[in-house]
Amino acid sequence: MSSDVLYSIRNLDVEYDTRLGGVRAVDDFSLDIQKGEILGLVGESGCGKSTLGKGMMRTITTPGHIVGGELWFEGVDLMTLSEKQMSGIRGNKIGMVFQDPMTSLNPLMTIVDHLTEAIRAHHKEVSQQAARARATEMVAELGIRTERIDDYPHQFSGGMRQRIMIALVLALNASLVIADEPTTALDVIVEAQFLDLLRGLRKEFELTILLITHNIGVVAELADRVAVMYAGKLAEVAPVDSLFLETKHPYSRGLLKSVPNIDVDNQELYKMEGAPPNLIAPPSGCRFHPRCPYAVALCAAEEPELTTVSGEQHRATCWIYSDRKDRPTDGLT
Amino acid sequence: MPDPVLLDAPPEEQWQIDLERVGLLRRLLNGRKWYGVDWWMVVISSIMVVFFIVIAFFPGLLAPHDPLEQVGPRFLPPGDKPDAEVLLLRVDSPIESLADLAGQGRVPTAVVQGAPSSEDIRSEAERITQELAATGSDDRIRFRILRLETLEEVLAAIQAGDVELGAGSSQQLEPLMDAYPDVVIAGPISGEKGGKTFLLGTNQIGQDVLSRLSWGARIALIIGFTASIFSLVLGVPLGLFAGFTGGKIDRGLTLVMDSLYAFPGLILAIAIAAVLGPSIVNVIVAIAVLYIPTYYRIVRGQTLSTKESLHVEAATSIGATKTSILRRYIFPLVIPSVAIIFSVNIADAILTGAALSFLGLGLPPTTPDWGIDLARGQEFIQRAWWLITFPGIAVMLVVLAFTMLGEGLTEIFNPKLRKQ
Amino acid sequence: MHPLLLTFLIFGIPAVIGLAYVFVRGSPGLRSYIVTRIALTIPMILILATVVFLVMRIIPGDPIDSALGPKGTAEIKERFAEQHGLNDPLAVQYGRFVVDIFTLDFGNSLVQSQRPIVDELGERLPATLEMVIPATLLALGLGIFLGTRAGVRRKSATDYGSRIFSVMIYAMPIFWLGLLFQLIFGVWLGWTPIAGRIDPQIPLERTTNLLVVDAIITGNWVALRSVLSHLVLPTLTLGLVLSGVFLRLTRINIIETGQEDYVAAARARGIDRGTITRKYSLKNAMIPVITLIGLQVAILLAGAVLTETVFAWPGMGRYLIQRILARDFIAVQSVIIFFALFVAVISLAVDIVYSLLDPRVRY
Repeated sequence: MSSDVLYSIRNLDVEYDTRLGGVRAVDDFSLDIQKGEILGLVGESGCGKSTLGKGMMRTITTPGHIVGGELWFEGVDLMTLSEKQMSGIRGNKIGMVFQDPMTSLNPLMTIVDHLTEAIRAHHKEVSQQAARARATEMVAELGIRTERIDDYPHQFSGGMRQRIMIALVLALNASLVIADEPTTALDVIVEAQFLDLLRGLRKEFELTILLITHNIGVVAELADRVAVMYAGKLAEVAPVDSLFLETKHPYSRGLLKSVPNIDVDNQELYKMEGAPPNLIAPPSGCRFHPRCPYAVALCAAEEPELTTVSGEQHRATCWIYSDRKDRPTDGLT
Repeated sequence: MPDPVLLDAPPEEQWQIDLERVGLLRRLLNGRKWYGVDWWMVVISSIMVVFFIVIAFFPGLLAPHDPLEQVGPRFLPPGDKPDAEVLLLRVDSPIESLADLAGQGRVPTAVVQGAPSSEDIRSEAERITQELAATGSDDRIRFRILRLETLEEVLAAIQAGDVELGAGSSQQLEPLMDAYPDVVIAGPISGEKGGKTFLLGTNQIGQDVLSRLSWGARIALIIGFTASIFSLVLGVPLGLFAGFTGGKIDRGLTLVMDSLYAFPGLILAIAIAAVLGPSIVNVIVAIAVLYIPTYYRIVRGQTLSTKESLHVEAATSIGATKTSILRRYIFPLVIPSVAIIFSVNIADAILTGAALSFLGLGLPPTTPDWGIDLARGQEFIQRAWWLITFPGIAVMLVVLAFTMLGEGLTEIFNPKLRKQ
Repeated sequence: MHPLLLTFLIFGIPAVIGLAYVFVRGSPGLRSYIVTRIALTIPMILILATVVFLVMRIIPGDPIDSALGPKGTAEIKERFAEQHGLNDPLAVQYGRFVVDIFTLDFGNSLVQSQRPIVDELGERLPATLEMVIPATLLALGLGIFLGTRAGVRRKSATDYGSRIFSVMIYAMPIFWLGLLFQLIFGVWLGWTPIAGRIDPQIPLERTTNLLVVDAIITGNWVALRSVLSHLVLPTLTLGLVLSGVFLRLTRINIIETGQEDYVAAARARGIDRGTITRKYSLKNAMIPVITLIGLQVAILLAGAVLTETVFAWPGMGRYLIQRILARDFIAVQSVIIFFALFVAVISLAVDIVYSLLDPRVRY
């Protein structure tokens, strides 16, 4: 593994206990995040991408739990750390931005309380005044008027609150930011402003960002590389241009085709057949085979592995790109 | 910048969606596996509820005696044998048992005034006389009773030969017998060895506690069921009506119901029961008034939110009538919640009923009722622990059964309702 | 000084000082909220009073009959009705009734002494408060402590234990719990007295009728000991029953706030577990719990009536029952009105505390 990998997920398994049985939300999932990149993670709802984000922070709560795997970050396997050591990593080294800024702040605490609490949780030596000064600086950096830091969250709009969430991450010099659907709850204008802000901050603070979203547009706009997730598994991972121009996995193709294009008139949107699989009893073999237009017997029988499909960086989990005799074909390769 | 596209609504974990898809029937059938504790709660509490209902219909199944009759000595502890009432004779007496006295004229007999033995000896004589009459004999047992103050006096009278025979309790006699060498115990008066035992003891007037408890179950369930049905029959239609029509009527009704709800229920029931006077019907009325707002509030709330939900709006837009919306959309939604409130409501009504009769405001004072028995038992708390213990356990078990049933059903049918 | 007035002062002055402090220090939004809320108390009292009036007058059963019993002849009844204004139109009676409430003039008792009811309440109210206040504190302390522990550590032994406790205590008639305590601690173990407020042989000069206070200000330690030992069982009975309710409420709300995004976000920021429980879960959970405390006043009052009856505690509840049995409907009506006032005052206090806790109400 190259030295510029910041965070490496290896064979991560996350399971939820339900009354119907165990659900593997993340199944034998491996992915590397390069230092300084923005990696977009896309997939349908319920494919496990949010669970993956929480798993990377080890903040999955019951009924969910991590079954196995390794989480390498800055030369340490996070799975081997104690809960207390892990607390020192959370927020301090890895920050997280949540989907709904309206509910991610404690309604009973002022903005500055949130910031000073986070700073002093990791740096006990910092005085209350110093923490407050740092908080004021951060808030100003993100374009919020400094006299408002003593206000309560309900006095801010959604976009402002999302900036506060970012301030909470930046106040601690975290090197990796996991942003879980950060713009889903924002309207289009605010979203555009927020994405601009994120781009600017990335340069300024040399951030590495894992951008979890189901919004293909945001990924195309911001990401350097894209990972596509399907039913708890990695379907395809590639640099952003390569993925959009030479989509390899049939699922990724369906996903992209279902995005409307403003340049095409009267286009008929593609609608993928079938529903996402039931993860309590996942399909055999390749999990996408019941919905895949190219599926053959092999796809139902055996599970494909992640293989390099085009160039060094572009990999997909599909039998089409194997050298098996009984492999399916999509007519292109 | 391309249009942002949402592939789906904000995500919900897939397994949650899957659980929602499962039908009610499958939930119940596979209940034990999915619901664990809650399923067992429903099963156990259902068994308890059925048990109490059976007892309420047939108190005789559990009650060995008439709850209003004196059937044993007073304050007999649970499971204890009462003293054997025995016949006392002179050593040289030719008599061996009461039957030998038949046709002998008036026999001088000494008894302690008011003791159970004096009662027993007379009733046994009566029984023998009747038996003889059945065989065609005219012989009768007759006594000339000498009523004395203490057992010692009885013994002394026999010793001195003043009377032919006497009667007393074996336990009390035991320490005294040595002082009167000429007196012997001829055996139990009735021929049985000792009296009957009472599983839960007897109370201050010799009634059987177990029998009173069984008949008390009938009173408790009558109050619980009728009061709850009464509140349901008034509260549910009012809630549906107010929620569905809205406007001034709704606001007025809700104001009245809310103030009723805010006021301490038991105190309201006390006031109503006090004005109406003691009778079971009045207790039921007083309790029923209390719980109308409970049904009203839930049903109105659900009606309102269903009325404004998307699928009802859609139905209205394609021309569904009001009655069909009530019948097809609102009613099915309300039924499970009402069933759950009903179960918990019965428990509350039983508790309130017991409280009213404990305070002396509910039922006529002789009724075999748990609350009344507890109030009576308190007077004798120093002496008879069982009088306040068992009726309390009975109330607790019934209330537990109905609440647990309600709670378990909530968890299985409608986990979201719990928050309300 | 009238004992009722004294009681009002003892509890009213700290409340007014607290309110004044909040009023001066608070934001303009908070101030206007408090003013509005106090103004709203008046219609609330009116509604409650109307309910009481309707219950006492409209439901079948004649107050005159119930007051005089079977012995009342037509003539006596007529005179009685005239004397108590029962012949006036209902509207006039209602008007007089409302005026009486706001002037705290309840008239004279119908039985024996015919003392003013206000005087009798002046003796009874402190007795009730002396028992209800420590019981509520016990219930809040125990309920919130156990509820938080159970909610934070779900499915632990504490959680199951607390749930079983709250279900059992809910199903237990409060008067039975009182009887059991009397039996166990009073009769079997002989640790505590089982009835009354103080050993009748111990002299104690009564000024406030709060016997704990009276004993302390006169330095009468023997009396204080006796008063406290009499307080133990009633307080424990009422406190335990109420704690079950608070436990349930706290547990459910702690579980719910534990699932909020801001808790997950705080964890992801590396805030430690204890801080999250205190500053995030518990504080937010307390908001609905405090609102619901207002509704628990009903349980508190009903519980007080029953507890007082069991322990022969000479408070408002026992007075109510005694007067019902004595057919003194004027006293009954007054006590019920007093309870209604109590409900209104508690709900006012709860709403003000709520506004202090939740900034969303304040601004």
